[in-house]
Amino acid sequence: MTATVDPALLADARRERRFFLSLSLPALFIVGLAAILPILWIIRQSFLTTGGEYTVGNYAKVLSSGLTWSALVTTLELSLGTLAICIVLGTPLALALASARPRVANLLMAFVMLPLWTAILVRTYGWLVLLRRDGLVNAALTGSGLTAEPLPLVYNFTGTLIGMVHYMLPIFLLPVYAAMRDIDPNLVRAAASMGATLGQVIRTVIMPLSAGGIFSGSVIVLIYSIGFFITPAVLGGGKVNPLSTRIERALSTFQDWGSASVLGILLLVLMALIGVMLLAARRLLAQDAVAAAHA
Amino acid sequence: MSWLRISLTAFAISAAVPVHAQTLTITTAGGDYGNAMKEAMWGPAAKELGYDVREETLSDGLAALKMQVTSGAIATDIIHLGSPEGAQAAAQSLLEPLDYKIIDAKSVPEGAASDYCYPFDSYGTVLSWSTKTYGDNPPKTWAEFWDVAKFPGRRALRANAQDSIEIALLSDGVAPAEVYAVLSTPEGLERAIKRLEAIKPDVAVWWTSGAQSAQLLKDGEADLVVTWNGRAETVKKDGGAADYTFKGSVIGTDCLGVPKGAPNKEAAMKLIAAMTQPARVAKLTDFIAYGPVNPAAYEGGLIPEDRLKTLATAPENAGTSVFSNSQWWVKNGEAAQQAFDEMMAR
Repeated sequence: MTATVDPALLADARRERRFFLSLSLPALFIVGLAAILPILWIIRQSFLTTGGEYTVGNYAKVLSSGLTWSALVTTLELSLGTLAICIVLGTPLALALASARPRVANLLMAFVMLPLWTAILVRTYGWLVLLRRDGLVNAALTGSGLTAEPLPLVYNFTGTLIGMVHYMLPIFLLPVYAAMRDIDPNLVRAAASMGATLGQVIRTVIMPLSAGGIFSGSVIVLIYSIGFFITPAVLGGGKVNPLSTRIERALSTFQDWGSASVLGILLLVLMALIGVMLLAARRLLAQDAVAAAHA
Repeated sequence: MSWLRISLTAFAISAAVPVHAQTLTITTAGGDYGNAMKEAMWGPAAKELGYDVREETLSDGLAALKMQVTSGAIATDIIHLGSPEGAQAAAQSLLEPLDYKIIDAKSVPEGAASDYCYPFDSYGTVLSWSTKTYGDNPPKTWAEFWDVAKFPGRRALRANAQDSIEIALLSDGVAPAEVYAVLSTPEGLERAIKRLEAIKPDVAVWWTSGAQSAQLLKDGEADLVVTWNGRAETVKKDGGAADYTFKGSVIGTDCLGVPKGAPNKEAAMKLIAAMTQPARVAKLTDFIAYGPVNPAAYEGGLIPEDRLKTLATAPENAGTSVFSNSQWWVKNGEAAQQAFDEMMAR
């Protein structure tokens, strides 16, 4: 099929594109100023000694320290732990929300979103009040005779994970809920009318169609979790030390901007790696789906 | 016509005030401590000198000082630091030398003297306990603090090598006068770290701020808390089930410095001299239990007799204490902290 396009129309389209591009300039400017420049500055800083001379010593120091690697492990444990719990708790919740009547769903959604509107520091200290030794949760547990001694719920890994999941769950939920809402109910009905059980419907219709949402939610959860600082600092009791707390130590105790910058770059690389890995995983999944459809 | 009268009066008033009133900025730690310094020290001193003083508060003075000096955007004329941080800042040439022509050099005892950061008050890192847990029989020495069989309970220590390695050695039987000599040997530091590692399973919380340590003591989240005497005293005074002892405390000082390149250097020196007059540093103890460094402040009944026993530097309290050695910390701080962090990560 060949179509000749009016050159005037083409010019119009070009002008329009340029206009839209120019609309995004302020945003690009802000991103450049607030994100790109500081990152370049951090990269430069990572190659400087405290005296201001160029060196690779900061990298040698940080990468050869066992503390960096144990912090890296803690970072991954916290992020993957948070992600796993978000998937286990969030996916059924999103399913329930998506299949509820609109008014009920809106009400439930408001409850889910409530924590998002509260400052993270307030929420974190809230958990401290709930989870500490004489806190509400432990008072209820010992008061009802469920446990003899108060449980160590805070100032450790458990407490940190609880705080992080609380923060990340609504953020995970949003894309998953959106994906599930978009599933055509006729597909579910069709599957059911063909004799599929509820489990089969979820497995063969709902999950594949909401995989994109779960995937986006997971990416957001991981990227956020890797940089968490306040939650481990307040709820970890000094025992949970991810990379972010190492950065704080390098800055405030040692005034070692070079090492802090290297640690910051390490975080950045970690995020990039996770991004690349997830993209690759998505491509593989998509290929599988295509292959399955053709089979 | 009244508006004209008002504006004329306003004009007359503003004309009466010297046009070039000296403006200064002081950076303190804020909170109760910051308020105490304002009420007792720089507030009255600024009034006397006719300075217009603005206050900034920061909990991490040294990091901020470094940021300001290296970037050349110095926002403060006087900064409040812990003495080890003051010594560290001096070593990194972040501070102006103190002008001892303006500040009285004789107001500082020889051991505490500094060319860059003027020590004005002192605090003790002390052993505090929950009276609910231990009643009349609390552990009263660091050796007993470490004795988890005889004194079971949840411990809380600061997540920092500073003071922690000193008390670890004291608990291991090292004499107060020997602490830094022992720490200066590689085996000594290792001995302190090993000692901390031994108590680690019983440490419920490694705290990161003084306010947090007070909260742990007040809530009974921990039964035994290593904290600063001012914090412990405040919990006790507010009716918390807590008490503490000065026995074996590590005494440190806080100091005032002038950032390198500060805009109002000379005025800053004058304000430091005025705000640390004996009567003013004595008055600080009205608000918080941090005792003056200047011996003259203890004379002439400037501090009420019954308050002396709440101060780390009071003669009856200081006998078993270790004086924190800033110079040692400047030289060995990073290595000590590194070893401490590695112990925490194991």
